[in-house]
Amino acid sequence: MTLNLFYFLSFLAVLSALMVVFSKNPVYSVLYLIITFFTIAGHYILLDAQFLAVVHVIVYAGAIMVLFLYVIMLLNLNRESEPHKSNILKFAAVICAGLLLVVLVGSLKGTEAIVQQSGKAGIGYVKTLGEVMFKEFLLPFEITSILLLAAMVGAVMLGKSEKTNDTI
Amino acid sequence: MQPQNGIPIDYYIWLAAALFTIGVLGVLYRRNAIIIFMCIELMLNAVNVLLVAFSTYLNDAAGQVFVFFIMAVAAAEVAVGLAILIMMYRNTKTTDINILNRLKW
Amino acid sequence: MENPNLAEYLPIALMFIFALGFVVTTMIATHVLGPKRKSKIKLDTFECGIESKGNARIPFNIKYFLVAILFVLFDVEVIFMYPWAVNFKSLHWEGFIQMTVFISLLLVGFFYILKKGALKWEE
Repeated sequence: MTLNLFYFLSFLAVLSALMVVFSKNPVYSVLYLIITFFTIAGHYILLDAQFLAVVHVIVYAGAIMVLFLYVIMLLNLNRESEPHKSNILKFAAVICAGLLLVVLVGSLKGTEAIVQQSGKAGIGYVKTLGEVMFKEFLLPFEITSILLLAAMVGAVMLGKSEKTNDTI
Repeated sequence: MQPQNGIPIDYYIWLAAALFTIGVLGVLYRRNAIIIFMCIELMLNAVNVLLVAFSTYLNDAAGQVFVFFIMAVAAAEVAVGLAILIMMYRNTKTTDINILNRLKW
Repeated sequence: MENPNLAEYLPIALMFIFALGFVVTTMIATHVLGPKRKSKIKLDTFECGIESKGNARIPFNIKYFLVAILFVLFDVEVIFMYPWAVNFKSLHWEGFIQMTVFISLLLVGFFYILKKGALKWEE
């Protein structure tokens, strides 16, 4: 049952990830990417990382993809304005990616699988994560706020237009 | 309650490898800068899946905290990156990366 | 092999299936049940209808985009508050001070946004 669910989610994830790359309309790409993110959230639930699954849906499907959709609407990108690569370049891209996959699979194939550690349950709970984050990873946590501050300043600097009612 | 779900960790490694490769393929294959951005998100997510899988299998919550930070980095990256993209669109009226190969025009 | 934990997600899964199924069945049902008469006169605008012009995707004001970006950043910030809120008692004042540093850094950004007038619609 669990294994079947894993196969189903993986199949859906890989298929919609491929559709992100190959669909002509950018809006469809965004929608397929949202499906991929939902399946990845399903994988998190299978891995017992419940909180992360919820956060993943909120941040990725809820916020980041909305931003992408906004930009595509804002820039008025349609099927007609989609730039095309020449066929030889596309072929080269597929070959390169295939080679990367071969290298990844080849390097990981012979490795020994780790033995599952038995320990306390509920690694994915909010409480456990909070304890680890605020005890062990305090500095990265504080630095994250600086990163968000920098992103805020950068976005406002770049996005704020001098003129009023600027529609690009 | 066990974190064990009966799925070997190899499967997650293959899944992450496949997703990462598709992300790389998208970056090489497409010329639309927004699609390239989305493929970068896909690659980040492949790494996230692997981090969560290892965190569960090794019973160490640190991996999941890393995923948290990666999410924050991804949000910051998207915010600034898309703002840059919009500025470029204003100047060149396109998101084709072949037009964006010079830093001034 | 069976994960006993997975049964707890059944209500959520059911909710997803019903939500998705409702949308799919309505879309299919409207296609099947609805009459289709696509004559020239039927598709014509009449009475107070306005002739449609161009594409539905018109460029809109960039301020919407700026608000969306700021939403994403503050959304991520709020996500970081959940683990803190759950552990609020066990972290004591230390945790409170840590969170205050985090929030105050973001407040600097917030005041920057306000000063720059990024959230102002009319100037």
